[in-house]
Amino acid sequence: MKTIQYAGLALVAFVASVIFLLRLPPAGAAATVQVQTIPPLTQVFPGQEPVLIRLQALDSQGQPLTNARLQVRLVTPAKTPWLSTDFPIVEGTTLLELKSTAPEGSLEFSQVLPIRGTYRLEVAVAPGNGGTFQPFEQSLTLSLAEAPLKFRNLGILLVVLLLVGFAGGWVIGGEQTLQPGEIAPQPVRLLLSGVIVVAIGVLLYVNITAEFNHGHAGHGHHSHEVVAAKARQTAQGITAELTGETHAIVGQLATQGIQLTEATTGKPATEALVQVRAIDLEHQEPVFAYEASPDTTGRLTWKQQFYDGAPHQLTVRVVPLPEANRQFAPLQVSHEIEVEAVEPPLLTRLISLGYFTIVLVTGLVLGLLGRRRSRPKWVQPG
Amino acid sequence: MVSSSSLWQRTRQFTLSLPVQLGLFTGLGMLILWTMYFSTYPPAHNTLHQVRHTTLGVACH
Repeated sequence: MKTIQYAGLALVAFVASVIFLLRLPPAGAAATVQVQTIPPLTQVFPGQEPVLIRLQALDSQGQPLTNARLQVRLVTPAKTPWLSTDFPIVEGTTLLELKSTAPEGSLEFSQVLPIRGTYRLEVAVAPGNGGTFQPFEQSLTLSLAEAPLKFRNLGILLVVLLLVGFAGGWVIGGEQTLQPGEIAPQPVRLLLSGVIVVAIGVLLYVNITAEFNHGHAGHGHHSHEVVAAKARQTAQGITAELTGETHAIVGQLATQGIQLTEATTGKPATEALVQVRAIDLEHQEPVFAYEASPDTTGRLTWKQQFYDGAPHQLTVRVVPLPEANRQFAPLQVSHEIEVEAVEPPLLTRLISLGYFTIVLVTGLVLGLLGRRRSRPKWVQPG
Repeated sequence: MVSSSSLWQRTRQFTLSLPVQLGLFTGLGMLILWTMYFSTYPPAHNTLHQVRHTTLGVACH
């Protein structure tokens, strides 16, 4: 009987040990950052609505790291010169750089992901005021598929090119000597060929002129000094001052920031939440949103790239934290950002033109061969 | 000394020769494609901006 009792106790102890061991983190487990996107990236295509990206720093037990500082860098997918995206200048560049205090170890922002491919999120987590953990860094990836619409449109274009090429080959492959009853006599056909030569000359002139004029204009824009503008507003003893670049260039980061101060004393105001929103004015669509608290100097800065060469509106709303000693009505400051477009590299465009030309010439050759095979055989008179 | 009728005959034969006709056709096709999809000429770019952004392999800005 005692043997059974001992065996029972041993079994209970064994099961308890297993459960305890299973609850322990695996050997070597370290603090991590988890990323979540809303909506999931499988439901998102490039250039559509902003994606909410939520980052959460966790300790080795899987619990949120408190009193942390998070630094985030979002890097766009690598360059794809052989099959360019529609924003080749944006490929392989930094889209965002954020730095914020994270009392609960979390940080979230919304951003339109402009191109297909694998984005890299580099996150650095360090202890803030009262934080007691070892700083660490982690690199995460976000993969975005190309929009099906682009495949469909490319397919339609290639079919059209093949058909046009085939039709051209069929016509050119026909009898070229003047036949009785032909509508267009030879001089007219010569004239038509001459017109084509003129058309080619005119199109060449227009395109080469456009290239040179644009190139010169682009140089002029690049030589401009970056103009910094401030939008300032004071209400109920709080001053919000938006600082940052009002001229940005596609492919490059533009620094933006806001400074909060107490209007009477000039001391930094820190017990507030800053809500940032950027809108593409050409399409009237939001491209970026971010919420964070200012640092101990009352300042919040971030760097962002405007991937579309169109004017943007940056709006920052400042609201008091619910637990703040000083409550005030929300403040709003904004400024417009002129974004300079950068032309895609000439080589990238020529590569794509090469693909399209190959398809056109393939159709042309098929049409030519088809016409020649369909010609009636010469019949010897009996 | 080449007579004018001989020169005209040779010009006509060259223009209507198969390689020249194929070259003209391909050249014109390439230029139309360039103007539609790749030109930085503002009227062409602005008119087909949306088409460029929704066609795979076409770079825009």
